[in-house]
Amino acid sequence: MNNRTLDRRDFLGLAAAGIGAGALALAPAEEARAAPFTDYRALVCVFLFGGNDSFNMVVPRSLAEYNAYARSRQNLAIARDALLPIDPLTSDGAQYGLHPSMTALAPLFASGQFGIVANVGPLVQPVTRDQVLSRSVPLPPQLFSHNDQQGQWQTLAGRLPLTTGWAGRAADEIAADTTAQRLPVNVTLAGTTSFQIGANAVPYAIGNDGSPAYFVLTNPQAAFAAERRAMFERLLAARSPSPIGRSFSAVQTRSLALADAVNGALAQAPTLRTTFPQSQLGAQLAAVARMISVRDRLAMQRQVFFVAIGGFDTHDSQNTLQPGLLGDVSSSLAAFQSGLTELGIADSVVTFTQSDFGRTLTSNGDGTDHAWGGHQLVLGNPVRGRQIYGRMPSLEINSADDIGGGRIVPTLSADQYAATLLRWFGLTPAQIAASAPNLANFSVRDLQFVS
Amino acid sequence: MTRAAISLRGALLTSLAALLVACGGGGGSGGGVTPPPPPPVTISRAEAAAFLRQSSFGPTSSEIDRVISQGYAGWIDQQISQTDSLQAPVLRALPAAPTQDDRVDVWFRHAVQGPDQLRLRVAFALSQILVVSERSALNQFPVGLAVYYDTLTQNAFGNFRELMEQVALSPAMGVYLSHLGNQKPNTALNIRPDENFAREMMQLFTIGLVELNPDGTVRRDAQNQPIPTYDQATIENFARIYTGWMFAGSPTFFQPSFNFDQPMQAFETFHDTGAKTLLRGTLLPAGQTARADLEAALDNLFAHPNVAPFISKQLIQRLTVSNPSPAYVGRVAARFENNGIGVRGDLAAVVRAILLDGEARTPAADAPGKLMEPLMRLTSVWRAFDGRAASGRYRLNNADIIVGQGPLRSPSVFNFYRPDYAPPGEMRAAGLVSPEMEIANEATVAYMANLLAFATFAGNSSAANPAPDDILIDITSEQQIAGNAAQLVDRVADKLLGGAISTALRNEAIAMAERSPANATAVRVAEVIHTIVTSPEYVVQR
Repeated sequence: MNNRTLDRRDFLGLAAAGIGAGALALAPAEEARAAPFTDYRALVCVFLFGGNDSFNMVVPRSLAEYNAYARSRQNLAIARDALLPIDPLTSDGAQYGLHPSMTALAPLFASGQFGIVANVGPLVQPVTRDQVLSRSVPLPPQLFSHNDQQGQWQTLAGRLPLTTGWAGRAADEIAADTTAQRLPVNVTLAGTTSFQIGANAVPYAIGNDGSPAYFVLTNPQAAFAAERRAMFERLLAARSPSPIGRSFSAVQTRSLALADAVNGALAQAPTLRTTFPQSQLGAQLAAVARMISVRDRLAMQRQVFFVAIGGFDTHDSQNTLQPGLLGDVSSSLAAFQSGLTELGIADSVVTFTQSDFGRTLTSNGDGTDHAWGGHQLVLGNPVRGRQIYGRMPSLEINSADDIGGGRIVPTLSADQYAATLLRWFGLTPAQIAASAPNLANFSVRDLQFVS
Repeated sequence: MTRAAISLRGALLTSLAALLVACGGGGGSGGGVTPPPPPPVTISRAEAAAFLRQSSFGPTSSEIDRVISQGYAGWIDQQISQTDSLQAPVLRALPAAPTQDDRVDVWFRHAVQGPDQLRLRVAFALSQILVVSERSALNQFPVGLAVYYDTLTQNAFGNFRELMEQVALSPAMGVYLSHLGNQKPNTALNIRPDENFAREMMQLFTIGLVELNPDGTVRRDAQNQPIPTYDQATIENFARIYTGWMFAGSPTFFQPSFNFDQPMQAFETFHDTGAKTLLRGTLLPAGQTARADLEAALDNLFAHPNVAPFISKQLIQRLTVSNPSPAYVGRVAARFENNGIGVRGDLAAVVRAILLDGEARTPAADAPGKLMEPLMRLTSVWRAFDGRAASGRYRLNNADIIVGQGPLRSPSVFNFYRPDYAPPGEMRAAGLVSPEMEIANEATVAYMANLLAFATFAGNSSAANPAPDDILIDITSEQQIAGNAAQLVDRVADKLLGGAISTALRNEAIAMAERSPANATAVRVAEVIHTIVTSPEYVVQR
């Protein structure tokens, strides 16, 4: 645990950065007051871009259920004896296993640090297969489309004309409680997404090595660095006649202003013994662990990190591609959890997956196509692990869960999933309702997978 | 990515520290120089440069001259007549097996030096609409990607219907969206055709998700809801159309030849010959060949009224402005519908309409414009100052990806950014979009600023002992006048922007130059170029 307080150098570093309008917008000083949060909590969203075929990630092992799965999946089915057995505390009568590539993560199920949320997806309200087929209830628009369904997971818009994301709105809701933070609530290692954009909140992007330093502006060895920086900042501060110019200047201003603070803090980060996989996801999660390790130096109390891995759109060569993808997720998440434990902060971080959609149970020969419901992983000491939350769907083609071609209608909504995470994050019921706008359509408002 | 970032930063640190520490001092005499009087033509240098920022990979002095002498329309005609700069022949002529870095190298060489600038710029725009990417199974096939890019280059002024067909039959697209090897259903094995290409061909390449008016605005039903252009059943029907295609010359459907040079070849046994229902109720009879089905399907898609506004608006956004008025989209879409002699889908006519439109040529003073794409920020500096390496290569060590954009290096078929990305804050509130802002975040803008610092301070012709692959801008002529900072700034501003810089930016650049002694000419020039190309004023093309 790193309890060092902000040092003078850090403070001066930030002050010297000449915090401009962009930075002030992140943390309005006039609003500063004693933060009601007395602890640190972080949510880490791991987005699996492309639509993870989660019906091959969590697979029934008991014979009847496995046979149904194998009949649907044909040549894409994982061999039953290759599955990594998991043993949930509460049984639905069937037995399950994880994809064989997930050896690093499987032990964390047994140790209670990781759980599975079954068949969750974007919904406006609870819906059955028959209601979908008869189009008798409202559904999220453009089901099965990548960017639309990524957007649904990130915004929880349903049919509402909503373009902000649920982490962005959550940051808006707790804005007054996080004014002492030196960084925005939302930090991204994987680009700008609607997930982290609020009415006021904007995400802050860093690279895997921290915030890139502006060498010719900040390197004290470079002649005229200070003068060049002052010039640069004056040009950024000048009002552009173009709103695109103003938007760009705000980002560049924030980038320059916060780089010193972030890198100054990261320079003090303890060296982790935990080794992370040499993958993009591994590198992003290593960076998140380093950021969490310097949380006190940056006065952070609530953070939402966004990391991502692509390549899950396995229309083709699924049997070849899936082991690498799920293996990376498994080993990166396991390393991240080890790193948090090493830092002594594992009780304060919850990691969770989101993905565009689940995939068809039917095959197109050597891959699967876009579908709807799918399973998600939740990880962390606060997670009530070693459980499968929700109901596992039937994996028979044309079952009561199948709207056609093995596209599974979700039984839990992304709103319920998000609301459960936000409740742990410390939001009030009203704040959660503002963040998850379709939650009111569901009687269960907390899926109980976090303590 | 990470390793490249570190090495780049390391290189920056050492080069810049070495360079800049040596250059102390300051002061020096200022002195304004009256800009040259405007030439006696209707197009000013600033206007020509603004035009070239939309129609090329960056202005050069000689291209500005050409636009002024030929006029906009004349310059476009002359550009259309230029020979295509193609990538695949260059790659095939390399002594060793080509790599993706070789492909990107050729892309930069053409962008910086190619005479067919407009064609290359339109091809790059098309490559961001009809997306295939190296970040896929195509990673192993740089020449296959080059062949695809050449298809876009060769059809940049062709007909969109023909381009659709070449794209649909491209082996690179077949691999990327997995209709290569796609086969007819096998109900016993629960196998149905792959829907990947069928879906994205409609959603991203031709008609989009919802019905559009001819001016690109969204049509709405009686309940004020958008009207979907297709549903899942449509996708499944089109998926059955795109069955039976494999690499040309493959011995069997299951023994791929990996021939990326020829269009895919039909293997009729694996084609679904059942009847199909296409868009707007069109029925295809059973028993047709794969090719006949494909032609009919592409005709059906091409005939959809969405194609003209859908493609026109995206081309406008890639070339001229991010927020075209519906009237502008409508004018361009009308040229797509009819090029003036009754031909639909003539891309040359569409490009002319985009570039010659009043909204592109004479924008309002507070018009949003368009954020320069990251790759344009690099090519523009290298074009204005003839940046090249002794080896002839453009080796960026994947730096292009770090700044958010690389040629045929999109993270997915959804391109580097979406056409409707609205930056949070003022723009979102005003209903304005800026696709390029989606990849301009705190990290990427810093990487880009560092790249530009490197390209100007370290990567110039005064560098001592450059390595063969070091890209150097030629600043020798600027050094001749560097003793006069104002004259220097005006020269640089003329090359980059036809002289169109604000007084504030001009004064900052002069002051920055004058911090170094008058005889530190290279540093003075680098300071001036750096000041301008990293300014928010420069990065918005208007």
